[in-house]
Amino acid sequence: MRLYSLSVLYKGDARVQLLKAASDVSTFNFFQRSSVQEFMTFTSQLIVERSQLGSRASVKEQDYLCHVYVRPDGLAGVVIADNEYPSRVCFTLLDKVLEEFSRQVSRADWPLGSPATIGYAALDEYLSKYQNPRDADPMSRVQAELDETKIILHNTMESLLERGEKLDDLVSKSEVLGVQSKAFYKTARKQNSCCEIM
Amino acid sequence: RWVLQQLIQENSLPTLVNKGNLGAAPVERIHRLVQDEMDVCSEAAGRYPSNYNAWSHRIWVLQNVGRLTIKILLDELSSTKYWVSMHVSDHSGFHYRQFLLKSLIGRTANDDNTLVQNQMGNEQNSSLQTEEECEGAEAVCVEEQSVDIPRYLEEELDFCTDLINTYPGHETLWCHRRRVFYLQHHLINKLPLLSVVVSSADSSDETLHNSHPNPATSHTAQAMDVDGLNESSSKQSYTQETKRLKRAPMQDSFGPEVEYRFIDKVLSTCRDVDQARFATAYRKWASVTPFFIALLQP
Repeated sequence: MRLYSLSVLYKGDARVQLLKAASDVSTFNFFQRSSVQEFMTFTSQLIVERSQLGSRASVKEQDYLCHVYVRPDGLAGVVIADNEYPSRVCFTLLDKVLEEFSRQVSRADWPLGSPATIGYAALDEYLSKYQNPRDADPMSRVQAELDETKIILHNTMESLLERGEKLDDLVSKSEVLGVQSKAFYKTARKQNSCCEIM
Repeated sequence: RWVLQQLIQENSLPTLVNKGNLGAAPVERIHRLVQDEMDVCSEAAGRYPSNYNAWSHRIWVLQNVGRLTIKILLDELSSTKYWVSMHVSDHSGFHYRQFLLKSLIGRTANDDNTLVQNQMGNEQNSSLQTEEECEGAEAVCVEEQSVDIPRYLEEELDFCTDLINTYPGHETLWCHRRRVFYLQHHLINKLPLLSVVVSSADSSDETLHNSHPNPATSHTAQAMDVDGLNESSSKQSYTQETKRLKRAPMQDSFGPEVEYRFIDKVLSTCRDVDQARFATAYRKWASVTPFFIALLQP
């Protein structure tokens, strides 16, 4: 069971801002790593864009699960994990990180922040610590009820999109994805194994 | 594998000749070889889920290069523990542990028959005896030590319980539980170890029904299938067959009552739909087996 990325974003009125991110791409092929990272950022942003304020959701895409929590104040977090990793622990992690982030980084910085300007350094540590859910969060088992019925489950990324919207279009328009990543996406699509690197 | 086979041939001659003196050196080398192979297998297993090839190679290495010494079996048991707890849906990993436990049972049974007979009664005494005999002896003697198999099986069951509680909804863990439970009762009842089960495993449900013309059993067998646990892979159907043929005698520290308690606890506290389904199916299994085992008794 693995965690691949942990990011903090801000869902503003006009757009979603990536504030800070940490990722662990060590299990991926060396040459794919930067593409994978870009796709994870792309995915995280897209998911937050399409989620409502004050909601929690899990989006399934092939072997990956993206867990998102968008707080009512617009601060949002996304964890990308594999199928085995318990989702309960992911949501606990998100709660914790967002809470800490909101205490350390002033609200005024959120709407226009970026990874370069935001001073919050704990994400990498959290990501690595939570690779083993039992060590990181021994109490999660007996934790108070996190009402799981409130977590929306999406079976594919496509269910997040609006009618007529295509993931291909979003990928090609994306500012976050580099040329190489976009090309890779196209070829993977053709081989009928969408985003296989992810 | 070819490379390893060559090395084995090379090693077997020297060990025969230099039994007393250089006995240690080839053993060292073997250990290192085995360790390297284990590392490679772990690496491969980590890359692809349920990597059958990696695990079966691992088993092959143990059987041919490591020669299934008790020390190696125990080492492997402890070194894979962390790996399987981080890969809870990897059936191959757990199957490997089942193989280790089964081999341990087989080992201790072969080395000393009287030991097995004594195991029900004076476990403590017999282990003391053999340890004294082995005092200051070579690695060969390690194999003759009594290994507290029931304890290992119980630990394995506890380990399984722990994982089931921490990570709800993983069928692999429940399957593993059934296998460990079976091994526990094999030990107590000295049922033929899995050879009977293996021959029945390939037969379809119908064969089983024909041999026991009890309508109730065929119905419950159907129920098991409907539960959705009868997957197409042979490993799964093998598990299904074995669970039907297992016995649950009344014992003190384990047995169906203990399992029922565990199941009830899980059902009352879990919120995961799959977990509830697996627990319920397991309960059905535990309640049905006595019928079948009674018929298997020699």
